[in-house]
Order: sequence, then C-alpha cells, then structure tokens
Amino acid sequence: MQKKSLMTLTFLVLSAKVTATGSSLVATGGITSFEGTAGGGITPWAMIAGYGSREEIAGTAALQQLDLGEYQLRTFGAAVGIYDRVELSVQRQNLKIGSGIVGNVFNLLTAGAVDTAPGTDIEQDIVGLKVKLFGDAIFDQDTWIPQVSAGVQYKKNRDFATSLPLSDGTIPLPGTGVPMLLGAGEDSGTDLYLSASKLWLGAAMGNNLLMNLTARMTKANTFGLLGFESATDDGYKLEWEGSLALLPSPSTAIGVEWRTQTNRLGGLAEEKTVTDLFIAYFPSKDWSLTAAYVDLGRLPFDEKASGLYLSATVNL
Amino acid sequence: MKRLMILCLLAGGLMACQNSPQPSLYEEIGGTQTLDKVFGLAVNRIYNDPRLGPHFEGVPRNHLRKMLTEQTCALIGGPCTYTGKSMQESHQERNVTTAEFYAVVEHVQQAMRLIGLSYQQENRVLAALAPLKRDIVYQAGQE
Repeated sequence: MQKKSLMTLTFLVLSAKVTATGSSLVATGGITSFEGTAGGGITPWAMIAGYGSREEIAGTAALQQLDLGEYQLRTFGAAVGIYDRVELSVQRQNLKIGSGIVGNVFNLLTAGAVDTAPGTDIEQDIVGLKVKLFGDAIFDQDTWIPQVSAGVQYKKNRDFATSLPLSDGTIPLPGTGVPMLLGAGEDSGTDLYLSASKLWLGAAMGNNLLMNLTARMTKANTFGLLGFESATDDGYKLEWEGSLALLPSPSTAIGVEWRTQTNRLGGLAEEKTVTDLFIAYFPSKDWSLTAAYVDLGRLPFDEKASGLYLSATVNL
Repeated sequence: MKRLMILCLLAGGLMACQNSPQPSLYEEIGGTQTLDKVFGLAVNRIYNDPRLGPHFEGVPRNHLRKMLTEQTCALIGGPCTYTGKSMQESHQERNVTTAEFYAVVEHVQQAMRLIGLSYQQENRVLAALAPLKRDIVYQAGQE
C-alpha cells in the first residue's frame, strides 16, 4: 500500500505540470500534517488545504514518514479545499511496532515467561473537516487579527481489539489489541480544534514570519494510535499546539512546533509534549517537501521516541 | 571604533551618533524611479495576461502605472499624495475575484524581483499593499 501510494505520488508530481493548482500565492497553503489536515507537520493551521481561491476547488495528496527506530509511523491521505472556506481530508496512519517492543510487552504481562513475539502494527483512519471562520492570514497586514478556523477530526483506531500473536502463532489474549492492553477505553474519538494563523509580511528583518496557535479538545491517547479515553476517564481534555516559522526565501520555511498531550493512561503509555524542528521547501505551487526532526516524547518501551520526519505534499 | 562608541556614550544616546537617520523603505528601494520601473513592468504583464487584460479595457497603461506608483510611494513612506480614486470606487464597475487579485499580486511580485528589489524589500512593500485587498475584491454593488 505504501509503495503504491508513493508511486501514485510520484506520478502526480511528474504530471503536475499539466494541472492547475489554484490561484493562491505559493506556500500559503502550508504543508500537510500527519493527521491529514493542512498545517504544519504536527498541528493544523487555519489555512484551507491547497491553493484554491474563493472561486476555486483545489486539493492535496500527501505522504509522511517518521522514523523512530523500533517504531515507524507512515501516513498518507488527501484533502480538498472548497472555495477557500471548507477543507475535507482523509488520512490513513500506520504505526509499525518492532518485535523488540512487543516482546517487552509480553515480558511484562507474563512476568518474564514470554519475552519474544513478532512485531505488529496499529492503523488509524482520520476524517477531517475544517471551516474558515474569519480573517485573512496573509492580507490583513494592518491588524493583529489572525485567520481563524474551526475543525473536527474523527479518528477510528483499526487495531484497538486486534490481538497480538506469539511467535508460535498462539494468541494468549484474544480480542485485546495494544491500545486495550495499555488501558484505553474506546476505539474511536472526535477531536475538536480552533486554529489561529497569521503571516507577518516582512516582519523579521524583511523576512516573513508565520505564527499559529491551535487549541484542541481531545480524548485521544498518543493521537488516537493508543486508543481513546480510559476505564476511569472519558472526558475531553484541552491541549495546546503551536508553530512558529520564518520564511527566509519565497520557497523556504524554517520553524519549530510543539503540541501538548493529555497523558491520560500514564504508565507504559505515558505521553509528553511533542516538539519538532522543520524545514519546508516549496519549489513551485505543484508540490512541497518537508524534513523535520520530531521528538514525540515517549512511546511504550521507548524513552526517547525521536527521529527524522519526511513529508511530501502534491497540490492538485 | 572603540573611541566612536565611547563618544556615543558621552553624547548621551545612540540616536545622536548614527551617521544618518534610518531611511524609509521608499528611499531604500530607490524612490519613485524604482517604483515607476516596477509598475511599468507589472502593468505590461497585467495587460498581457488574458485573465486580467479585459478588466483594464479603456484604462491607459500610463495612467494605471502612474496611479500605482503614486499610491505605493505614499504607502511606503515616500513624499507622494495619491491622487487617484479610492480602491473601493475604482473596483466597483467590475467584480474582481480573489483569483484575479492574486494574479495581479504575482505580477507585481515578479516585477519587483526583475527590477532588482531584494526578497526582504519585496515583502515589506507587499505588507504595505496587502490591506488594499479587502477594498479591491468583490466590490461590485458595494457602497
């Protein structure tokens, strides 16, 4: 599936010359976050996906990979921006978990009786909707008022109850997936967020500066990859996300991001604030490429879950 | 250099010791002469653009060039007074879409680059012009 989508993406890049990508100015569509929403790498922005103006419908297709060693997060999806007002997105996430980590889980569960097991993966689907409420992030340069959008992300974890086999194929805990083992209570949840974005033209010694702040209400554990809610806690929690980027050339953005997490489950599934350092390259309105160093904070049996993140977005 | 700094401190303020006051963006880019070149080029590109040309039928190129130069001069700290119509008034006859507006911005950006403004100067000029958007797009029927 990954290979196929990569091929599709390559084809789209190569054929992009014959397609119109919309009228908006280059880089103003941002990139695509790993949840499929137009934004930075790990957080939504108030911009609507693609380069469509108020009269146009435009879209994006994107692919992301985060290499954390024992964990590999691969995601891909598509988004459509309608009249620079509404954004619809779909995203598939796949978190590959190495056999060393799964072995550690069994080791703990069986008090050392079993300590090897094959690797596994956790998949999640995300359907997103974003609506621009007010403001113009780029052209309202005479006021501090940002562009503000509201959004929802419906997330469905596909492996909430997918049980883990041992090396010999036996299933010790039928109907119990990794999120359940770690204490999650639900296999799906809906995030609600408000994003405020503002580009300050020429603000940093003549270079453009982008600021974004997102407030998110969520029940997710580690973005939903480790399920939603817990046995004792099914309420929404407010989390904060931010991006700060400098555009030292018309085609380059360099920035930092952060995103707080609830840490509802604790223990093995302890969550910490996610941070990243990114550089995005927009050679044309047809596509963009982003490289980042992402620190996810913590994942089960990985105290320092950080690594290289690559993301490509094609504009349609 | 050290002596100069000490002199500055003695003079009681950094402002007093600057060789010349900070030039305005207008002066920095080379004044009306540069703006006139930029908008000469931009207006040509706009008139030759099939998406935009029809909007300017009956508007002499030199008039538009002069008005844009004058208006930008005034907005970036130059000694000009804009003598043209307000943006709302001049865009009431034809409904300008945001797609068309962005196309004009791209032509002006390109013209600034081709005439030799730095990316940083280009951004600062755009920052001054950007708020005009709300008085340019979809003005037909507006009062």
